[in-house]
Amino acid sequence: MMQFLSDTWLLWILLSVGGLLWWSGRDSQYFHYVFNRYLLALATLLLVSGIVFSLMEVLPGDCAEKYIAYKNTQGETITQADIQAERVRMGLDKSLPERWGRWVTNLTLRGDLGFSCAKRQSVNLALGNRFWMSFMFCIAGLVFAYLIAVPFGILSAFTINKSWRDTNPQHSKAEQLFGTAILSLQKMVDLLLRIISYLGLALPNFLLALTIILLYVFAGEPMPTGLFSDQWANVPWFGVDGFSTGKLYDFLGHIWLPIFVIGWSATALQLQTVRALVVDESNKLYVDAARARGVDGVALWAGYPVRHSISPLFNSIGFDFQRVFNDLPIVAVVIGLTDSAALLIEALSMTNDQELAAGILFLVALVVISMNFITDVVLAAIDPRVRKSVLGN
Amino acid sequence: MTALLARFRRKPKPQNDESYYTAGQLALIKARFKRKTSGVVAAWILATLVLMGFFAGFFSPVDPTIRGADAEYRRGVPQPIFFWDDNGFSLRPFTYTYTKAKSKIDLKALAGGGLDALDAFTASGALTSSSQNRFEVDKEQRRYLQFFVKGWEYSLIDLSVGGLNLDLRWDRHLFGVEQGQIHLMGTDEDGKDVFSRTLHAIWVTISIAIVALVVKLFVSLFVGGVSGYFGGRVDTIMMSITEAVRVIPPIPIYLACAVALAQLDLTPVQRYFAIALVIGALDFATLGRRLRTHILTERNQDYVLAAQLCGSGTWRIIWRHLIPSFTSYIIVDTLINFPYVILAETSLSFLGLGLTEPVNSLGVLLQKAQDPDIQQNMIWQFFPVLVFVCLIMAFVFVGDALRDAADPYSEKK
Repeated sequence: MMQFLSDTWLLWILLSVGGLLWWSGRDSQYFHYVFNRYLLALATLLLVSGIVFSLMEVLPGDCAEKYIAYKNTQGETITQADIQAERVRMGLDKSLPERWGRWVTNLTLRGDLGFSCAKRQSVNLALGNRFWMSFMFCIAGLVFAYLIAVPFGILSAFTINKSWRDTNPQHSKAEQLFGTAILSLQKMVDLLLRIISYLGLALPNFLLALTIILLYVFAGEPMPTGLFSDQWANVPWFGVDGFSTGKLYDFLGHIWLPIFVIGWSATALQLQTVRALVVDESNKLYVDAARARGVDGVALWAGYPVRHSISPLFNSIGFDFQRVFNDLPIVAVVIGLTDSAALLIEALSMTNDQELAAGILFLVALVVISMNFITDVVLAAIDPRVRKSVLGN
Repeated sequence: MTALLARFRRKPKPQNDESYYTAGQLALIKARFKRKTSGVVAAWILATLVLMGFFAGFFSPVDPTIRGADAEYRRGVPQPIFFWDDNGFSLRPFTYTYTKAKSKIDLKALAGGGLDALDAFTASGALTSSSQNRFEVDKEQRRYLQFFVKGWEYSLIDLSVGGLNLDLRWDRHLFGVEQGQIHLMGTDEDGKDVFSRTLHAIWVTISIAIVALVVKLFVSLFVGGVSGYFGGRVDTIMMSITEAVRVIPPIPIYLACAVALAQLDLTPVQRYFAIALVIGALDFATLGRRLRTHILTERNQDYVLAAQLCGSGTWRIIWRHLIPSFTSYIIVDTLINFPYVILAETSLSFLGLGLTEPVNSLGVLLQKAQDPDIQQNMIWQFFPVLVFVCLIMAFVFVGDALRDAADPYSEKK
């Protein structure tokens, strides 16, 4: 019994969550929507697993060949029949849908992502904490991007249709001069920030990382590659004399580089998005109505267009995460990280490890889809406009 | 600069004249675009770069392939152009003569046969390729620049790739020198001219992006069109697949495809198109979704109904009424996506899975920047990086300005 439960634990969790949502959704329109959204997310996940799994078929070679090739290096002579036998043993002679079916079944029953033939262990074990590491990198990069993009995107939207000069005829000459100075300052700050943030986009990630590392080399400092420097790498977090702050400082001294690099390039796109959203909202009639009521300045901007552009921004977190993860592998290669992004590159371009690559891509998709699910559900709960559009009344 | 100042001083024209209200969509976009100073400046930079890239053969003084490699000037420093020096002023710009320094290797120290001496000799760096390739500047021997000079033959416009039998060949170059070759930005390890390579790379990279974006446009139009036009179950299925594709990070997918391509035996040209095809075909999700939403809302509009009542056929409605309603959106979106496609190509090349040497693409040239030898001894090979950054920035700023200009509601105030 316990064996059966531990073999199928994930399925029970999924089923019970679904059942709970269905039960609550019988008399609540909101939970009915959540239940539908949940089913949709699961269906999308299934599709993603299909796409990812079949895409990995384009990678050359299969597990049996690699396994046998490994034995070959150990001095055994191998015939074609051996490879064929190995294929049958691994179930690789079956058709693609059959193998996919088995993979998905194992995945939904107990979260088993398959077997990595280059590492010769299960994908779950090979990934270990590495996926969480990449996850945290991406989240930190996103936070960095949002912290810069949101305030300056709003500023950028604010100055977008302003001219450089204050030509308000009601102002006196001195006021006009002062207004012109303020406007020019705002425009200059906006232009400067846009140039800096777009530089993040225009300098490819790998080049940025390389440049920073190069600066360290020229300065004669130790390079901030990897996660820890050698002396701290094997020190445990909690030593005999409590928490080791030295390791923390060392960690922070290394961790900023990947976060900064991927964050900077994400900022440019984020800035464009925020700017476009706020500009869109600020052209709507309700802003004019508020202006007619006498709301002005910061109160007008903070209360109306900015407030309304937050929810689409919040809604896009999932895809932003995907975009940031997209950049991570190459940065990981340059900086010498050992997270799942580096593992992904290795699996794709060097060892052609299909199931490992498929597993990592699937996990990324899982994160994106769950983020989308959560943001949709939360927005439907708190934003009346979204609630109205998805629930009807 | 004066144009900039004039722009700053110019009073905004009152816009209540009749021509404003009767102007077409494109004229309005153009007028609005012209008022964005940063966009206009970026557009000029972009136009210059693209033109120089397209007519790279004319603008580059040296053949960028191995045929034009200067065996006497490997790993050579940039040769700047002067108008005057200590010997006086000259209206015709000139550069100096560079000759390879005889490397002074003192083999006598090794004569004793001691291994320590050999070690010291190797450690002194006398054998490294950068110390073997030192060049002396002879300031007395000026080489004057010639304009519209005859040089290696290149094809000015080559449409043979497109199936047409048109290949305009020419041998005049904008500038060059009579004695030897001029290397504005120095040379690389093989003696290939960095400046010429960069110019040629611009067009290769841009044309990959164009092919990719055209493929992307067609795939998106197909997905969005079918989904929006048929609606119902087809729409549901298409959109759930699109949604699934959208959540997978694209670069790993490109990587997988590039690895698969590497297995096939392709010529460089085929490989080039295959990469463009892969990048374009997998990037349909966002644009496809937008087009679908657009078609879904537009097909119920009154003007479509009016056209139907006038007896227009389905295709006429699609071509004459529906597609013009979002061409400006498609154009702007395509332009905004340019830098991302170029970045995707560079990322692939960086990992050695896109285009590879000896093809001149910006990705290939950027890849060299990670070589420690180049970082320390041949800093001038970072020139393509500079051009690349300018190109992407120009694209982004033009895209930004165009997006604002194409938004019909942007000029209320």
